[in-house]
Amino acid sequence: MLRYAFKRAVLALLVAFTVSLVAFFLLNFATDPAEIIAGEDAEPEVVETIREQYGFNRPLIIQYGSWLAGLARGDWGESYYWRKPVAELVLEHAPVTIQLALMAVFVTLIVAIPLAVMAALRPNSLLDRMALSTAVMAQAVPNFWLGLIFIILFAVTIPIFPVSGDSSFAHFILPSIVLGTSSVPAVMRLTRTGLLEVLSSDYIRTAKSKGYRGFKLLTRHAMRNALLPVVSVLAIQLGHKLGSSVVVESVFALNGLGRLALDSIIGSDIPTVQMLVFVFAMVFVVLIFLSDLLNAWIDPRLRLG
Amino acid sequence: MVNLIRHIIASTVLIIALMMQTGLSFAGQADDRLVAAFQRGILSLDYVYTVKREYVILSELIDDGLFYTDPETLKTVPLAAKSYQMASETQIDVDLHQDIQFHDGSPFGADDVVYTFNWLLKKDTKTKRGRLIARWLDRVEKTGPYSVSFHLKFAYPLALQQLSRSAPLRKKGAYDDVPPGKTPAGHSHNGIGPYKVTGFVPGKETVLERFENYYSTSPKARPAIGTIVIRTIPDWSTQQAELFSGGVNWMFSVPTDIAVNAGTLPMVNFIAGPSMRIGFLVLDAAGLAKPGGPLTKLKVRQALNHAINREEIVKYLVKGKSSVIHAACHPLQFGCTRDVKSYSYDPARARKLLAEAGYPDGIDLDFWAYREKEVAEAIAADLEKANIHVNFRYVKLSTLNKARSQRRIESYFGSWASGSVADVAAIAARHFSPTSDRDLTGNRDVSNLMAAAEKIRDEDKRRTLYEEALGIIAEQAYWVPLYAFTLNYLTSPDIVFTPPRDGFPRLHKIRWRQTSASLLSR
Repeated sequence: MLRYAFKRAVLALLVAFTVSLVAFFLLNFATDPAEIIAGEDAEPEVVETIREQYGFNRPLIIQYGSWLAGLARGDWGESYYWRKPVAELVLEHAPVTIQLALMAVFVTLIVAIPLAVMAALRPNSLLDRMALSTAVMAQAVPNFWLGLIFIILFAVTIPIFPVSGDSSFAHFILPSIVLGTSSVPAVMRLTRTGLLEVLSSDYIRTAKSKGYRGFKLLTRHAMRNALLPVVSVLAIQLGHKLGSSVVVESVFALNGLGRLALDSIIGSDIPTVQMLVFVFAMVFVVLIFLSDLLNAWIDPRLRLG
Repeated sequence: MVNLIRHIIASTVLIIALMMQTGLSFAGQADDRLVAAFQRGILSLDYVYTVKREYVILSELIDDGLFYTDPETLKTVPLAAKSYQMASETQIDVDLHQDIQFHDGSPFGADDVVYTFNWLLKKDTKTKRGRLIARWLDRVEKTGPYSVSFHLKFAYPLALQQLSRSAPLRKKGAYDDVPPGKTPAGHSHNGIGPYKVTGFVPGKETVLERFENYYSTSPKARPAIGTIVIRTIPDWSTQQAELFSGGVNWMFSVPTDIAVNAGTLPMVNFIAGPSMRIGFLVLDAAGLAKPGGPLTKLKVRQALNHAINREEIVKYLVKGKSSVIHAACHPLQFGCTRDVKSYSYDPARARKLLAEAGYPDGIDLDFWAYREKEVAEAIAADLEKANIHVNFRYVKLSTLNKARSQRRIESYFGSWASGSVADVAAIAARHFSPTSDRDLTGNRDVSNLMAAAEKIRDEDKRRTLYEEALGIIAEQAYWVPLYAFTLNYLTSPDIVFTPPRDGFPRLHKIRWRQTSASLLSR
């Protein structure tokens, strides 16, 4: 198990390194940081002075090396746009996105699991078809559209939720429903398939012969096994929520990492965008790493692969 | 399991009940709190480091300069300055009010004025405003505890206007902690304006409270509203929803289609106001991008002027208070004559002019734009009708700026708001100067006339110089002047907001609408 964990960790680090390298070069090719710092109306001499001052005239690979060395020292650089250390910015905005992502995953769970159970208990029935259709619709609807519809319905027409902002728990309800909805199909289908498989297995037949029926059978015997693969998928979904909150945060004016990313892209703030790409990538890498370990722990055959 | 479901339902109901207690807050007259929505975030409270409109609006609330531009008359009047006199063509003596306090309670005096301008004039402070001022201001000297003298490099007619808009006054030593060559973060603020900052989260929210020790003689007057909250809401639809639900009182620069639709609702006031911004096409008459190219020929440039249906663009696309212009300036600006050659929409004439210029099959034209995409597309479509085959390049402003500085632009759709300054100098200095890459005329007569008008104070002489310069620009069709912009506002019905003539909203002038209910509640 340790050897397996070490191999996955090395792979995860390589992925993180590659992502940071690609992000660094793409961002620096796309825009000139010296021009951004100097401003739109700056004279060419001012731009050149800044280029020298900040070391932007060095080869890109050297600049990348400096960035990587800074990262190793815990120095995430300084934002040109926000005029703040990037680490401070990320730490300030992260709680909003983490809360949103956790609540979105919670929404996914409370919608997807009951739907999956209903569908699995009556496979190919009208209920099953309806549950699947609901899940597909949830995935097909764009976040920004659903967000606006929810705002109109539940914040303007029936004003029970605030329209936008992040100053209270209530502000997170509508955005987390919107963000959580898109993950419903993946979790629902996986749970349904797992349940169908488990429900036809021998040990369930044994449990039934012992007199277990209905919810007791489901909760005590079937769900435990059926949900194991769902746990690892949920970890990925959590990472996905953290990284894909840009649209929802903009619609609901939440001041999280998504908004920070969007504003920084608009402001061509390379250090912040670079670090956010790296952070989002690392979140995925860590979560995938953890889910790999979890799967290997559940199924020892995977450790041999 | 049934119990579990019951628990979940009960908890959900409780959570929703709690949310209702804590989550919803409304802007309004009851708590004397006005919420203004900005699409772009405020990242710094220090206006001297930016030129963006949102910062100007904020600065007008928390800062005062020596002078103030009255939004109704557009005249410049003393503000922190009690009075002034022109000691000579290049010296302005200013006496200051003696009862002004900074928001931290410390007194304001001549030392603060001298410190502010010395900071702005220093090259390595990187202020955006300093460069503008350094063009004409040589130095400032203290002549008494409450008096200063400004020594100009030349007789600059816009000096008072620039002192009103470009130089918010700072306390002596305000920037002492800023390392050399660095830009201050601007996350705290100590000004002398009618509001003081009591809360600031960059990119999210700025909370302002009325400054109760604001000097009573200020022409801005004591604001009527106690608290102003500026919230960043990037999405127009969300801003509208906040307005509908009472969470926002004031939105500005709203796209016309949104403003017109929202304005039909009873809980919304749609106000279309003027803007000092004008739109125009700049043509490479000097052949900088294409030496000897079609645009170096007068008839081709005239053809472009005849090819664009400005009236319909204004009527169907821009709407509001916009209007067609024929001169290279805003009609409200001093020196902006309307008595220039105008070109009617006549595509047949445009084709004929092209043929006469030696292009019977029309011309190919690189046409760049960076904003108002639908207008730019309409222009491109009009040009096509006149046999002008457009290679449309819609890019970011920074890309356009770079291409222009590299002399790669044949024509572009530009716009200019003149910093809301009602004087042709505010547009001419950047567009018709041989040192500016925006000047594609190649005509030194025009730039000389414009420069001369910027260096004398005699109004009649200035007006004559501008008339001549603008006349040449129109005759030679160096530009295609298009229209003066409109600025759309959406407000809640409980506020009184008058759109300013110069397109620069002053939120300190907003007041609550007096209704019988509001009067009874007092």
